[in-house]
Amino acid sequence: MRALTDQEMKTVLDKLANYMSDLKSLIAPLESGDRYVFRLNHSRVYYVKLSIANLATSISRDALLSLGTCLGKMTKTGKFRLHITALPIIASGARHKIWVKDNGAQPFLYGSNVVKAHVGRWSEDCPEHSGCVVYSMADIPLGFGVTARSTAEARRLDPTGIVCFRQADCGEYLRDEDTLFAG
Amino acid sequence: MAPTRTVKNKHAAPKAGSSGGKGSKKSSSDGVSKTKSRSGSKAKAPAVQVKGRPNLPGLDKNKKRKQRVYTDKELGIPELNMVTPVGVTKPRGKKKGKVFVDDKESMATILALVQAEKEGQIESKLMRARQMEEIREARRIEAEKKEAERKAKLEDTKESLRRKRKRNKQGDGKNKEEDENIKDVTATGTKAAKLKKKRVSFAPE
Repeated sequence: MRALTDQEMKTVLDKLANYMSDLKSLIAPLESGDRYVFRLNHSRVYYVKLSIANLATSISRDALLSLGTCLGKMTKTGKFRLHITALPIIASGARHKIWVKDNGAQPFLYGSNVVKAHVGRWSEDCPEHSGCVVYSMADIPLGFGVTARSTAEARRLDPTGIVCFRQADCGEYLRDEDTLFAG
Repeated sequence: MAPTRTVKNKHAAPKAGSSGGKGSKKSSSDGVSKTKSRSGSKAKAPAVQVKGRPNLPGLDKNKKRKQRVYTDKELGIPELNMVTPVGVTKPRGKKKGKVFVDDKESMATILALVQAEKEGQIESKLMRARQMEEIREARRIEAEKKEAERKAKLEDTKESLRRKRKRNKQGDGKNKEEDENIKDVTATGTKAAKLKKKRVSFAPE
């Protein structure tokens, strides 16, 4: 387990900034005097409290399975891929949101993109190809994706047209159970 | 005598230069001291020439050394065609290992940089989208206008055609009346005016 390098930190924050409007809250000091830090172990990036990260140094790299919240994975080419496990953090400061109706929640959780017919409402002034968090109508975050059309264009779209390309959904906890945390 | 010797030496020059470089140098240095001491003797003059010649192999040596100095860049070898890839070679004088970002300040600076960059990107994206939307709206309005004009034109032509037809109809009505009059006349019995048989007559010879 180690801290991120300059470049790694930049790529991670760059990806998070696609979905979140306020990044400063991520590293803001807590009331207890503690703060959150990013740690890398087995090419996975974890978002964890500093005190816990310090405790975790007593565990060897191979023995350490996970700590804090897994944000995603650093690929071999140096890019960063967000996992569904990062959803609670992203959803806390989401930049753009899409709410899907109840009839659209299941198709989304099974891994399909969001079509216009399933959209209950969406945040205004959303440009195309920008990150957005997908919620159910009861404001429960279901996953995240990338907008296929801007809000203005999406209004003119036919009901079967794709509004949001899925990036991750909560169904992955079951579908990718074997590879989500290790491997 | 001297020219013959020189010719012989010229032929032997490459071999001699490669084999006995050091000896020739020594002789030349000795020769210089000797020439200085016995400058008046004629017999020693060719000897000086002979001793001077080994300078040629010495010059060749210098050239060879220069050839060895050539670097890959001077030869124009492309960087990618090297044994070690470009990315693998580490710059000299730089510290080994990774530089970690763990302190609060550096994290905050990177975060601010990234956020500002992203905000700028999104802002420009939004601006572009708005501009595009305006252009599209203008085009749509223009198209609607054209469509409306075309429809109006079509309506006009339709209307004019209808009017024409009406006029024709009115004209047809008058003709009908005339026809009816004729019918009446025919019914009463004055057929002379109506039926005229065509007759063929031959011209008199």
